[in-house]
Amino acid sequence: MEHIENKKNKKSSVISRFLSFFKNLGLGIVNGFINLGKKIKNGCTKFYKRFMDGSIGTKLSHFVMGVGNFYHKQFLKGLIYLSIQAGFLYLMITSPKVNNTPIGFKSLSNLITLGTEPGDFFTPTDNSMLMLLFGVIVLGIIGMFLMAYNSNIKSSYKADMDKRKNKKPTSFKEDIKSLLDERFHVALLTPAMIGVLIFTILPTIFMIFIAFTNFDKEHTAGLHLIDWVGFKNFADIFSGTGEISRRFLPVLSWTLIWAFFATTTNYIGGILLALLINKKEVKLKKLWRTVFVITIALPQFVTLLAMRSLLSNGGPVNQMLVTIGLMQANEPFEILAFASSPWIAKTAIILINIWIGVPYTMLMTSGILMNVPSELYEAAQIDGATKRQAFFNITIPYIIFVTTPYLITSFIGNITSFNVIFLLTGGLPRAAGGAIAGETDLLVTWLYKLTIEQNDYNLGSVIAIMTFIITASATLISYRRSKSYKEEDAFQ
Amino acid sequence: MKKLLLLFTLAIMAFAVVGCGGATTGDNTTTVQAGTIKIWVGAESQAFYTQKVEDYKAYYLEQNGTAFPHNFEVVAVDTGSAAGMFLNDTEAGADIFTSAHDNLGRLIAGSSAVMPVQSQALLDQIANDNPEMFQNVIKGTFNNVEYTFAVPYVAQSLVLYYNKKFIDETQVQTWEGILQAAQTANKKALALSGTDGFNNSFILLAREAETQATSLRLYEGNVLDNTNGTGDDTIAKLKWGQSFFTHPNGVVSSSSTAWEVQLQQESTIAFIGGAWHYEAAKSSLGNNLGITVLPSFTITEADAYGTCEAGTVFQSGSFYDTKAFFMKKGSPYQEYLEDILLYLTSKEVQEESFEEAQNLPAYKNALEEFAAFDEDTPEIMLATAQLRMAEFSIPQPFGGSSKFNTYYYQKGAPDLILEILENRDGLYATHAQILEQMQYVETIWKTGVNEKTN
Repeated sequence: MEHIENKKNKKSSVISRFLSFFKNLGLGIVNGFINLGKKIKNGCTKFYKRFMDGSIGTKLSHFVMGVGNFYHKQFLKGLIYLSIQAGFLYLMITSPKVNNTPIGFKSLSNLITLGTEPGDFFTPTDNSMLMLLFGVIVLGIIGMFLMAYNSNIKSSYKADMDKRKNKKPTSFKEDIKSLLDERFHVALLTPAMIGVLIFTILPTIFMIFIAFTNFDKEHTAGLHLIDWVGFKNFADIFSGTGEISRRFLPVLSWTLIWAFFATTTNYIGGILLALLINKKEVKLKKLWRTVFVITIALPQFVTLLAMRSLLSNGGPVNQMLVTIGLMQANEPFEILAFASSPWIAKTAIILINIWIGVPYTMLMTSGILMNVPSELYEAAQIDGATKRQAFFNITIPYIIFVTTPYLITSFIGNITSFNVIFLLTGGLPRAAGGAIAGETDLLVTWLYKLTIEQNDYNLGSVIAIMTFIITASATLISYRRSKSYKEEDAFQ
Repeated sequence: MKKLLLLFTLAIMAFAVVGCGGATTGDNTTTVQAGTIKIWVGAESQAFYTQKVEDYKAYYLEQNGTAFPHNFEVVAVDTGSAAGMFLNDTEAGADIFTSAHDNLGRLIAGSSAVMPVQSQALLDQIANDNPEMFQNVIKGTFNNVEYTFAVPYVAQSLVLYYNKKFIDETQVQTWEGILQAAQTANKKALALSGTDGFNNSFILLAREAETQATSLRLYEGNVLDNTNGTGDDTIAKLKWGQSFFTHPNGVVSSSSTAWEVQLQQESTIAFIGGAWHYEAAKSSLGNNLGITVLPSFTITEADAYGTCEAGTVFQSGSFYDTKAFFMKKGSPYQEYLEDILLYLTSKEVQEESFEEAQNLPAYKNALEEFAAFDEDTPEIMLATAQLRMAEFSIPQPFGGSSKFNTYYYQKGAPDLILEILENRDGLYATHAQILEQMQYVETIWKTGVNEKTN
């Protein structure tokens, strides 16, 4: 009776945790919007205050950048701000063409229409993808311009405040000096932030936008006009027809199964191997570690391709089995791409992955084992703990505590693990019913096939977004629930 | 230290920006300064065409009295994916590039990425030198006007590579003979590489040996609905194919490289491939290499269906394609491209291309007129086998629309056909089950929609 009661309690606790996660998620989003609203309101208030409270120079710098600095005799700074504004206006107004596509103010209207000229055999079509790309770039440029604009007002207002305090406004040289001293973090982070914006954020926004278009193999950029299709591509996942609908759940399930087993087998295997090698009775420890580390030294793709060749139907393993009479030449032993059952291929992949992945965990755990604080064992010994108790209550918790972030990143890494699947099976065996995604395809290899092989970029973007949502959620949930996060100082 | 760190960061940023910057591109005007005309050809022909463009320069000087104003860059590409590469980034694509003709539909879709041929001299050469079947598949229509978009220069077809040690000249004429040879030697009869619907077309495209008849229709007359994959003979052929594929000594699926090992290690005694597989097949089998047309097969009592009776003999079919040169629309060197193609696809250059790079000429009278065909070498064996296959083949009929190629190859139909042939779990044991599956296939061919949900 009590047993049933406990089971019920556990079940309701899981359900309530599950529900509270979504409740917290919803609350988080609402709070996020509230905070954003507050920030905008504060920003507007400050903006208004600076305009009303500032000198004539500051007031004018709201219209012509750099005037405030000229007013305070900060000529070089003023010139830089003025150049930024002039350059920005020049770009926006003249909208120069790159590959026959304007980049400037016109990019914003092109971002909405994605082109209007259909072209024909003798005249070019508007390049919708360039229009989308330039639209995103121009949004980025506008964002950066607004930051410079705000900085121009702040700079002038700061000079106003300095004057009011009878201080001399800082010169350009002093500003530079400050950037290399007390504001060095700003100097260092600015290029990095610009890099992140250009190389990460803008391409990500571009990719997200593509998920809302019909950019696929039947709509080639520069030959057909591409249109916005709203949430159609996302709705297609649940439509019940088409590749993305039929294969999404099977591929997602296998991705999660793969990530779970690939992570846990490597993790547990690595720990066991490390514990074994670290045992006092084991001799030539360095040799054993070196042997396993050789696997890491070899490029992973070489190991994977070697494995595939070894196990292929014309490979040495088959030849050997034929030679020793365990197999007929006309009945090759197939466990990867051409396996008779997908589960044979899936199991084979997980086992091969152990061979490749265990040495990493072994190496890391060896390091951790050598650094477990000896005081903990001494204290345990004084308290009368047995070796077994010390192992389960000190060694294992310590390893888990230290390696939890690794475990999480490893799980996420396995969700997006491309090499193992692509090089071992290429996603095969084929799925019944004719589909691009094979039985061993992960979301990421399916994404590769949809984009690089099939040119269905819109569906690829949908898969990429779904993969991001899954990995981001899994990371956040697991990490926030881990002891490494909750008890950060436990082992310090 | 801080200054150094900042300088270092800025230097990295500068390198990244410079590294990510693209090359300067042309502005689509028609007059240009001396530049470089980029030509993509198959890897096997790169050396040959590099020499030929130099010859063209000399020819140009002789004809015009002035040196050719531009340079050439001949780049080796995978001809199978050249059209896709070109479409992925037409700005960076070559001014002249090679592709199989079946990509025409994709290349001229929308506003077309390639330029129609307008030079009368080149149009005349295409009309005079090429077989009708090639001339029909290099044209596209715009505003009811038909244009020619490609210049054929190589022909290609699937052939049978086999091991003469195990298969004799009588056995190689039929699949049953090859299967018998495989059984005797306890080997696999055939390695089949790829599951894309091209290589297993030897069953689907097979025709009655006597009458050349087949009910199979693929976009005939460039009409989407003029497509049929459910005729009695098609069902019977697939049933026969099923018994061949599932026989313990029948067909083994193979990766794009494993077939070489299988041939070399003699676990498999035959392979269906194109001219592009020749070097690998030669290296695997050496003096035992035999090359011939794809064999015939006979419908048995168990295979017979409807009007297709037992004892009907089918000759395996194939796609007989042409590789052709296309011109980039908007190339700044447009005014020179047609003259260059006139030279590179001339009868003389095609003959040289065969002699030096084993490219089977697209030229219609090659067999009679080219002295190179008088010799007796494996290369000639390959060429004559391909030319003989032309009798039992059709050019890939996908030029009329970009949809044809996509629907035939990329919407799951090849996998459904392979499911019939492999008959895993006995799901396609009866003619009715095969017919039902082929109805799905036919729908995909016509609409691009895969209605099969499991």
